[in-house]
Amino acid sequence: MTSSPLVKMRLELRRGVLVLAVLGLLKQAHYGYSLRKQLQEGGIDIDEGTLYPLVRRLADQGLLDSEWRQAEGRERRYYQLSSLGAELLSQLTDEWQQLNGALAFLLEQSADTNGSDINRSDESAEEI
Amino acid sequence: MELVDRYIAAVQRELPENKRQEIGRELKANICDQLDALSEQGELTESQIADVLKQMGHPCKVAQQFVPAVPIIASEDIPLFKNTLFMVLGVLFVLQVVGGTTQWLGSTEGNLFRFIQHIVSGFIGDACLAFTAIGLSFWSFSAQGKPLSGSNCQKWQPQNLPKVGPGWQHISLSDVFADLATYLFLLLVIWCSMWMSSEQLAARTVIFSANAQQLLQWFSTIILLSMGNSLWQLRRRVWTSELLLANMGVNLAYASFLVFLAFSSPLLQTQVQSQGTELQGIFTLLQLDKWLSYSLVIAAMFPSYEVIRDGLRWRKLASQT
Repeated sequence: MTSSPLVKMRLELRRGVLVLAVLGLLKQAHYGYSLRKQLQEGGIDIDEGTLYPLVRRLADQGLLDSEWRQAEGRERRYYQLSSLGAELLSQLTDEWQQLNGALAFLLEQSADTNGSDINRSDESAEEI
Repeated sequence: MELVDRYIAAVQRELPENKRQEIGRELKANICDQLDALSEQGELTESQIADVLKQMGHPCKVAQQFVPAVPIIASEDIPLFKNTLFMVLGVLFVLQVVGGTTQWLGSTEGNLFRFIQHIVSGFIGDACLAFTAIGLSFWSFSAQGKPLSGSNCQKWQPQNLPKVGPGWQHISLSDVFADLATYLFLLLVIWCSMWMSSEQLAARTVIFSANAQQLLQWFSTIILLSMGNSLWQLRRRVWTSELLLANMGVNLAYASFLVFLAFSSPLLQTQVQSQGTELQGIFTLLQLDKWLSYSLVIAAMFPSYEVIRDGLRWRKLASQT
């Protein structure tokens, strides 16, 4: 696979998961930069240009509450999960766990099949 | 900080008026947090600030991510939009041919170039207007969040879908409208005496001979039948055995008539009934008559080809059922 389709598919794969990660982290109040740092520490690296608009969109949909606070001599906009967001997060978490379980099973099964295929081809090569 | 302000201003310029202030304020706060974190390692240089801004992305891209562009027409409506547009353009083309033919036959010049120019320029004008009107109508529905094809997609039955068939079985709209335009053009030429004034008729140098005129008028029945056939095709949009047979019949009639007409000389006559008169000093009537006969034989090859093509297709369809 060339790098371009990989980049595109990775983006698609991450897009949905990212919403879940952001909603999950915003059980506690965060401002844009601190949210990004938290995601990075959790192993999810994301561009600022993608994260900040995403957070705003979620707030526009009523999934997040926001307020401006003064801290360290500067103003920051803090976001936190709203009651609607909390409800959605719980449903999405269930969905994710179900999907993740199913996917893990499928990928494991396909890995086993591939492994046995490789062993079989090795055996037939030795016979020849 | 001047770079940051310039960057924020560039993003704001790309945003809608009512969102500029708020998004600019938030973006600045986020960028300042990032720069603060960097400045913990030492004093910031302008190139470091520029790197941070470059990493954020081009102002246009960032603005678009904050306020994504909404398509003018909902993506699910695009097939319906295209279909409507082609149907309307087809009807406009037919109307232009009718209008152009009327004007061409009514003028004393009979200039073929002017005739084509009239049709093309008129069609382009009408097409632009139709494109704008249809686009705006679809846009108004999409803006209200009511996609037009939504109800269509829900009301369907798998049993009503056409049977699986080869690619040629789909009848293209352009073919149907081109046929309809040709039939209308022929009818207008044949029956010009019905709608042209006596002065306009008298101004023409060359007219069909009485024999050719009578044959053409008899043939109008077949032209009307072929128009009905085209309308039937427009309704079905898929070649069936019945449609193929009807099309073969129509094309066979056309080919036979064109050949018969080609050998029914004389086809043309001057208003003064004198054969051999020089026309504008270039061609004689006999030459024109001969060329018309050859043209008719060549024209007969097209419907003949369609008869053979449809015959083969009909056999294929018959063998499948």
